[in-house]
Amino acid sequence: MLFPTVQFALFFPVVLVLSWALIRRQAVWKPFIIVASYVFYGYADWRFCLLLAAITLGNQWAALLIARTRSERGRSWLLGGAVALDLLTLGVFKYYAFFVENVDRALGPFSLPLPLLTIALPIGVSFFTFQAISYVVDVKRRLVEPASTVDVAIYLSFFPHLVAGPIVRAREFLPQLQQPPDPRKVAVGSGLALIALGLVKKLAIADTLAREVVDPVFAVPGAYAAPDLWLAAYAYTAQIYCDFSGYTDMAIGLALLLGYVFPQNFRSPYRATGFSDFWRRWHMTLSRFLRDFLYIPLGGNRKGRWKTYRNLLLTMTLGGLWHGAAWPFVLWGVFHGTMLCLERAWRGRLALPGWLRWAVTFHLVVLGWILFRAPDMQVFGDFVARLAEPGPATLLTAPIAVMVVAVIGLQLVPERTVERVQVNIERTNPLVLGAGLAVVIALVAATVSSQGVAPFIYFRF
Amino acid sequence: MPDDSLMNRFDRNGLTRFRARDGIFALLVCALLLVVCKGDGLRAQGERMEPGWDRDVVLFFGKPAGAIADALPFARAVDDATAFLSPDEALDGAGGFERVAAQAGGELPPVTADAFDPVAIGAEPPRKEPLRTLLVTGDSMAQPLDAELATALAGRGVKVVRDVRLGTGISKSFLLDWGQLSTTQVRRSEPDATVVFIGANEGFPMEDASGQEVECCSADWAALYANRARRMADTYRQGGNGRVYWITVPTARDEDRAKIGRVVNAAVRVAVQPWASQVRLIDTVPQFAPRGYADAVTIDGRRRIVRAADGIHLNEEGAGLLADTVLARLGQDFTY
Repeated sequence: MLFPTVQFALFFPVVLVLSWALIRRQAVWKPFIIVASYVFYGYADWRFCLLLAAITLGNQWAALLIARTRSERGRSWLLGGAVALDLLTLGVFKYYAFFVENVDRALGPFSLPLPLLTIALPIGVSFFTFQAISYVVDVKRRLVEPASTVDVAIYLSFFPHLVAGPIVRAREFLPQLQQPPDPRKVAVGSGLALIALGLVKKLAIADTLAREVVDPVFAVPGAYAAPDLWLAAYAYTAQIYCDFSGYTDMAIGLALLLGYVFPQNFRSPYRATGFSDFWRRWHMTLSRFLRDFLYIPLGGNRKGRWKTYRNLLLTMTLGGLWHGAAWPFVLWGVFHGTMLCLERAWRGRLALPGWLRWAVTFHLVVLGWILFRAPDMQVFGDFVARLAEPGPATLLTAPIAVMVVAVIGLQLVPERTVERVQVNIERTNPLVLGAGLAVVIALVAATVSSQGVAPFIYFRF
Repeated sequence: MPDDSLMNRFDRNGLTRFRARDGIFALLVCALLLVVCKGDGLRAQGERMEPGWDRDVVLFFGKPAGAIADALPFARAVDDATAFLSPDEALDGAGGFERVAAQAGGELPPVTADAFDPVAIGAEPPRKEPLRTLLVTGDSMAQPLDAELATALAGRGVKVVRDVRLGTGISKSFLLDWGQLSTTQVRRSEPDATVVFIGANEGFPMEDASGQEVECCSADWAALYANRARRMADTYRQGGNGRVYWITVPTARDEDRAKIGRVVNAAVRVAVQPWASQVRLIDTVPQFAPRGYADAVTIDGRRRIVRAADGIHLNEEGAGLLADTVLARLGQDFTY
């Protein structure tokens, strides 16, 4: 089920009312919220619920075994087994076709006798698999006690974050389940404001940019000249931010209305003045997952310069692969890893002014997004090769220009100013915000084409 | 390590100052305003959904919401005020499907020379004209074929107009009337050739001449579908000035969808018969599903995955192969 649909608009108020009605009776509320979340998830295909349930039960079983095991070595083996099974699941559903096709091409006549199959990708499998890994790792590290199976089922399936994050850590969410939310202290204003903001970002901006500029140009870059290609590159930079952060805003807002708090996922990423700064602002919950569960276990920056570079490259390459089974994603990860290495190598040696650091970082990030968006390397090559091709700007219109400039420009406004405005809005009377949400829905609904709402980009991941 | 999660932002700024019931009342206010001002939109959304329990649920709420909105003047005012935001273009009223069923039948239509492909009867093929404008259209089936064709023809002096309407169908005219759309497309682009690849969202009931709804997939339904497809093909062929390349849908993995696809393909075959000299049928079934549905087919002795994960669409590899077929067929009629 997509958030900005009539189905969800009917589903959520019912769940909200029942959730608060049952919140003091946890023995009833917990099964209720699991059922609601599975209905939300199984709406597209009920069979995916079986996978979610299997991941839940498998990891809970592993967590209980780890907690009962005294020897550190035994705990490590159990953790390794659980993580391997999670990654195997992810591999089968997400990477099987990619792996078999590439091996088949590489080996030619000596190809392995593996069947060429397309396997339906369960929505959000990358997100709930990572959350499951975070749970067993936190149990192994004794950061959390194994929770009850019901709590783990809620943690993994809770519908606001289920399909596209944010990636909530077990130690952030499980304590909230053990201490039910107080119905007298709810961030209602924040929830409503974030839902409205998310709708505007996704429907009014991201989908419009995709439809009018990004999709046509990236499909056939050879048919466009430099002005349209640059516009498409900037437009995609704005689109992917609005698409993903819009989803996250809605997810956080919906959870807040239910009384639960999720970590923030974005903090003005396009004001970053370096790649390490960018990754502290972009998809923050994935960044810290990769940092805590991959980069640091690999040795982080504690084992010398070259091993630090190796760890950065490996972490970012796997981070790229996490986004999808395609070479452009892998190379996008390699690109970001390389930039992080270069930044580390030049730290203290190059004293560039802040505006120049921002400009260089921003345009390298844009270049990375071209790679990320290109369906294959040939399209990426065509796109980049034509960035200097003279020609007319056929896609530039005033609304498109305003959207791109506003999305990127607003991120350059000082963060304190933004937060002050945000807080003032979020403190507004909820009834006024409810009326405001209706106005926003009416306006953004008018911007949706008859073909409906485009799926969120991160649903594929 | 600094806390980058910012989870305490709401407490820190005193934002948890409301009660849960404030949130419920706020959503109630939102819902009431939307019913008054956009209730007809909820009903319309429900009517556009595929038959099933979820459609029934949406219509259960949508019908009374729509009735309230109809009875009050606000919905129309909101629609008028926000119309400028709509990305949908106004379609030509002419050429719509509304009267196709009623107009079908009647006097015995004459067979004309257009019904015969010169090559098929051993006659001299017409001289090849340069291809200047190619329209590639359809539903989601036409993606990424449209991009493959546009890429292949880039730099060859051919203007490729890509007009893909996701989620639409010939039997789904309550969402988009392809009769009207095809008329608008032809008026705007005046294509020398049109590639049509549609059929992923078919199977919806259609009204016959008496106004009765005919369910998929009887012979009556196929006849209604064929009449609509014929109207479109006639529009795209522009009285003989344009060529049409109508692509049949490859067999789907799901048996129910495969059944609809079979009927759709049969209807299209019948629909294009009067203009075999101008409307080419490109059959995907022998190419992508010669022995029923398969993810992969053998190409030059190698197995290749050609279908998307949903078991309906072609993936990029499949679309590339189909583009080669279409380009070869175009090359028999045009120079480019």
